[in-house]
Amino acid sequence: MSEPAPPMQQRARSASSIGIDQVSRRFAADAVALDDVSLDIQPGEFFTLLGPSGCGKTTLLRLLAGLDQPDSGLIHIGGRSMQGVPPHRRSVNTVFQSYALFPHRNVRENIRFGLEMQRLSAAEISRRIERTAALIGIDKLLERGIDQLSGGQRQRVALARALVNEPDVLLLDEPLSALDAGLRGRLQIELRRLQRQLGMTFVFVTHDQEEAMVMSDRIAVLNHGRLAQIGTPQAIYEKPADEFVARFMGHENLLPIKKSDATGIETPIGRFSGDFAEGAYLLLPPQSLILHRLDQPAAPDCIEAVVDECLYRGGMTEYRLSCSDWPLVATLANQGRPGPAAGDRVRLEVVTRAAAVLQAEGDG
Amino acid sequence: MSRGRLTAFLRGFWYALMLFLYAPLLVVVVFSFNSINSSARFAGFSLDWYKRLFANDVIMQALWNTAVLATVSTLIAVVIGGMLGYGFYRYRLGRLSWLVWLIYLPVIMPDIVFGIAEMTFFVLINQWLGILAPGLGTMIIAHVTFQVPFVALLVNARLLALDPSLFEAAQDLYASPWQRLSAFLLPTLRPAIAASFLLALTLSIDDFVISFFTAGPESTTLPIYIWSAIRKGVTPEINAIATLMIATVFLIAMLSMLGGRRRRTSDT
Ligand SMILES: Nc1ncnc2c1ncn2[C@@H]1O[C@H](COP(=O)(O)OP(=O)(O)OP(=O)(O)O)[C@@H](O)[C@H]1O
Ligand SMILES: [Mg+2]
Repeated sequence: MSEPAPPMQQRARSASSIGIDQVSRRFAADAVALDDVSLDIQPGEFFTLLGPSGCGKTTLLRLLAGLDQPDSGLIHIGGRSMQGVPPHRRSVNTVFQSYALFPHRNVRENIRFGLEMQRLSAAEISRRIERTAALIGIDKLLERGIDQLSGGQRQRVALARALVNEPDVLLLDEPLSALDAGLRGRLQIELRRLQRQLGMTFVFVTHDQEEAMVMSDRIAVLNHGRLAQIGTPQAIYEKPADEFVARFMGHENLLPIKKSDATGIETPIGRFSGDFAEGAYLLLPPQSLILHRLDQPAAPDCIEAVVDECLYRGGMTEYRLSCSDWPLVATLANQGRPGPAAGDRVRLEVVTRAAAVLQAEGDG
Repeated sequence: MSRGRLTAFLRGFWYALMLFLYAPLLVVVVFSFNSINSSARFAGFSLDWYKRLFANDVIMQALWNTAVLATVSTLIAVVIGGMLGYGFYRYRLGRLSWLVWLIYLPVIMPDIVFGIAEMTFFVLINQWLGILAPGLGTMIIAHVTFQVPFVALLVNARLLALDPSLFEAAQDLYASPWQRLSAFLLPTLRPAIAASFLLALTLSIDDFVISFFTAGPESTTLPIYIWSAIRKGVTPEINAIATLMIATVFLIAMLSMLGGRRRRTSDT
């Protein structure tokens, strides 16, 4: 995908909206893969389903593709009810988690499968294949067999095979999970650009919160088949609805609120005054903790902590601290000055503006 | 035993194995070209026995029967077995999935038991209904019954080795049920179908026991003819028939090997 690709023609096509209304799917009485999920996806939106393994992401995609039926609830695509519409009659294509490339067909024949089934003309088929292959950067691989491709190349062939049909909705099931960090980062940007350019509705599945944040217009976080939160990446990261979402988004500083009144709240590391919402936890994201060395002039309202561990992360260093025997994580940009070392005592300035109060898991 | 001696022993073992496997076949082939009527002394090269073979109407009829039986039963068995193999795959998680084990039974059943059972069964039906008199028809049915499990198992094994989401990918890519069969399922199964076709063909050509019990007076096949002729002693004529059969089986084996090789190179 490194080479510049010719722009795919803008089509006079209205990307489809998706309506998911109180959808449930149970595989057995005790195996509820989706539990009363409702959400609306806008036309042309890059929408991400985020959640841990087994939370029902693939199940929801399969319902959208028509490969499985909900036990209850309704699905609309482009305003049309999808009840009883088989997969081959939906303008929806899927990039499968396992790629699902046909072993008896080479790359070109794989990509043309959907076009053949729609009985497009030979000229149109080869035009679309050339265009898509150039766009995805696999024009050199078209005559290869599937078993001659690396994981990343298979990935891109699977993407091309779905995209070439120019569907109203593209479903992507963890399409980047098999790739190394570099390629993955490039493809994240590339996919995002592609989606904007084509104006297609993308429903993207991942269990990587950073990937979700980089790519999405909105994210739905799923937990055990239930919708835990839905919102923009910023909203989900900065104002997680509950403990589960916060921890899944990588937050570690969750302080149980012991007491709260009109003037402030009490936590294991001390009292914070201010007007806080009701909730079970005080969330202190890394940017809400400013680390000062003891020899620096003290800011007001500082608390003291001990450095347990320093983790060098390139652009910044992550400090694992103990504060009144309570573990906290803070970061410091690496700017050429030596930072605190393990065992040092430090002062922490808490920016309560950047903090958030959240609910216990499941109450949100 | 030292490593070197073990290697030498295994090598010797290998040659001995090859000797016992192929020397008898070689003897048959060599003596089929004998110029005198003997299976003990080779007097000189001649094609006399082959000429007599092709002039012998009984043998030619047996050859024809064998060919018809093998082709017809194999074609039927591939269709039925292929559908069975797919059915077992499709419903492998269903309540009746244990039925697949029934298909193994004919495979491990001794031929003689199977043959006697088929014969008794056909005779009973013939007495009651007046149909299925012993002949090529009953033989075809009997052959199909022992070929079907092999076809079904081969096709089933190929399907089980596939990524299950391939079926969904075909659906997702706009293939209607018929298109899924013609553009996805059949091409994907082609190697398995070809392999099971060749296997069923050799099984049928090869079969003596079950043919013997289900044959009628007019439907003698080559193995049955050989068996009856051999009671008068092994003639070079029999050697010639055997040589032709060896050549046929060899050809089929080469075909399936070539098919396998071509598949691998076209995949790559
Ligand atoms: N066909 C099925 N039969 C029974 N249970 C199933 C079936 N498919 C999925 N499940 C169960 O439903 C739950 C959700 O599965 P799903 O595949 O949607 O998870 P996922 O979020 O995609 O996970 P991953 O990130 O591992 O792919 C899991 O507990 C899974 O075991
Ligand atoms: Mg999944």
